[in-house]
Amino acid sequence: MNVKTRLGALELANPVVLTSGTAGYGKEISPYLDINRVGAITIKGLSLFPCSGNPPPRIYESASGVLNSIGLENKGVERFIQEDIPFLETFSTRVITNIWGTDEQSYLDVARVLTLVERVDGIEVNVSCPNVEKGGASFSCDLASLGSLIGKLRDVISKTFIVKLGPMKENIGDVMVLLEHLDVDAVSITNTFPALAVDVSTQQVYFSRKTAGLSGPAIKPLALRMVYEATQASDIPCIGMGGIASGTDALEFLLVGARAVGVGTATLSNPVASMEILEGIHSWLSERGIESVEDIIGKAR
Amino acid sequence: MKKALVTGKRRDGNLVEFVCKCPEIAKSAVPGQFVMISVSTTLDPFLNRPLGILWAEGDYFSVLFEIVGRGTSLLAQLEKGDTLSLLGPLGNGYSLDVPRALLLAGGRGIVTLHFLARTLKEIGISISMLFGIQNRSEIVLSRYMVNCAKGVQRFCCEEEISGVFQGTIVDALEDYATVQTIPEGTGVFACGPEGMLRALARHPLLENHRVEVSLEAVMGCGFGVCLSCAHKGRDGYLHVCSEGPVFPLSEVAW
Ligand SMILES: Cc1cc2nc3c(=O)[nH]c(=O)nc-3n(C[C@H](O)[C@H](O)[C@H](O)COP(=O)(O)OP(=O)(O)OC[C@H]3O[C@@H](n4cnc5c(N)ncnc54)[C@H](O)[C@@H]3O)c2cc1C
Ligand SMILES: Cc1cc2nc3c(=O)[nH]c(=O)nc-3n(C[C@H](O)[C@H](O)[C@H](O)COP(=O)(O)O)c2cc1C
Ligand code: FES
Repeated sequence: MNVKTRLGALELANPVVLTSGTAGYGKEISPYLDINRVGAITIKGLSLFPCSGNPPPRIYESASGVLNSIGLENKGVERFIQEDIPFLETFSTRVITNIWGTDEQSYLDVARVLTLVERVDGIEVNVSCPNVEKGGASFSCDLASLGSLIGKLRDVISKTFIVKLGPMKENIGDVMVLLEHLDVDAVSITNTFPALAVDVSTQQVYFSRKTAGLSGPAIKPLALRMVYEATQASDIPCIGMGGIASGTDALEFLLVGARAVGVGTATLSNPVASMEILEGIHSWLSERGIESVEDIIGKAR
Repeated sequence: MKKALVTGKRRDGNLVEFVCKCPEIAKSAVPGQFVMISVSTTLDPFLNRPLGILWAEGDYFSVLFEIVGRGTSLLAQLEKGDTLSLLGPLGNGYSLDVPRALLLAGGRGIVTLHFLARTLKEIGISISMLFGIQNRSEIVLSRYMVNCAKGVQRFCCEEEISGVFQGTIVDALEDYATVQTIPEGTGVFACGPEGMLRALARHPLLENHRVEVSLEAVMGCGFGVCLSCAHKGRDGYLHVCSEGPVFPLSEVAW
């Protein structure tokens, strides 16, 4: 059976990808999971300089979901290259680095550094973070800001260029058409949903930054709709993610048009969730005599 | 995920102890470490819950927990013969290379210090143990105090109970210091509520000692991938699951 898939020029041995922020920098997950067996690993979101993240508490559980307010804590791109790239060089899995910035320049600076790193196969750009130049509105809050950032990044990124979208005001089909014009190689859909938690014992909002991002099974139907509409609007390959916790969940995303699937929150409760999901895809395909995963991508229309 | 068979269960009010069979975990666990236990076979609650290891011996280890919310309530429903799905042992334990030890436990902080006391005794290190609770509902926890042989053993409660020293663990420590000096080099180990650790951190009696504290944080994964478990540290945030949960007191900020 053939489970290979493609994100533009990047071939993945299988469609299961570890998502950013739920697999550390690679080293942290590898005592529990053979990262050579996933289609790709996406690294925690990197910025030009280290970022200490938000004050605790940083995580809250809701019904079948998790709210996180990590605040994009990361060691910065230089330390990642020094401390983690040598480790990742001992593996053959695809490595996607996720990046973020606070203004266009800071995105471009990280992208320039990572595009020169041989071990990096893809650069995924998180556009759901606040743009300080626009008073904290997200980079994806309007098509003009998004287009401007992505256009400039396209010029500096020579790796597989992935744009990671989250829930937005703009119509996702319009966003996809824009990204296609800008020659983006792939999209990841979706990032977490802005949400809120309240602690009745203190009668206060639970997180110091008030809103936090909701992920996990609770968001799956919302994520599926986004992937469905995005892949209808454009042929850009899509990594579908949001609440995938079983082989069946993953198949749903593939059926609506995703070419790969991301596993995030599920890894937190089971470090080998991605492997169980991959096995689930395998056995579903083989039970039905389906030769290739390609045969089911986008079948549900 | 590993599997552990529940071979014993004991429940006292809101406290539950499970004895579990899992040679893989039991044989490698050291005092201070914890396990992440799945509390549901469905998608809700989704995350595992961290619990300290009370003791480990041969093929067996045990956990002791207080029912405080949904996860711990679900866990408490398991019975002897059921199987736990879990990860562990996780985190870094206490230092064992001390000439003598003073253990300061508050409430369910007794869990990992119980394991430490047993281990230190086994390797022939003399220990003293002070254990404090807030009110009489926690009195059953005193069962987990370890006989200190030649060392001092103190039990205190903030609420008045006849025959029991009344006060906080800090009061008990001060009282202890009036009759006993804390020799230089003593390893001091503390585990308990954040307020207790904070009070100890500033205490002059512990100023010149090597103090290790075990911290708690709300956790996502327990194995270092999500960065949920931040606690203020002297040089930025500490990550309780991967860098701790045991830290030199000097590295922690409050
Ligand atoms: C390293 C470590 C070791 C621990 N060892 C023990 C132990 O040996 N025995 C024991 O009884 N408890 C221990 N805890 C605390 C235990 O994990 C929490 O009480 C438990 O996760 C609560 O789950 P719940 O679903 O019942 O509560 P929830 O409904 O999730 O929450 C109820 C209350 O518990 C608090 N809480 C939730 N998660 C944590 C957490 N990870 N740490 C601290 N407070 C939390 C919440 O803020 C809330 O006030 C430990 C925690 C850590 C981090
Ligand atoms: C703890 C945590 C940290 C995350 N960190 C990042 C990040 O740094 N960058 C990013 O683009 N997405 C981040 N995400 C979002 C995930 O990569 C993923 O898009 C989202 O959680 C939806 O998938 P899931 O439901 O499978 O988790 C994070 C999610 C979680 C739960
Ligand atoms: S709980 Fe996930 S990194 Fe510590």
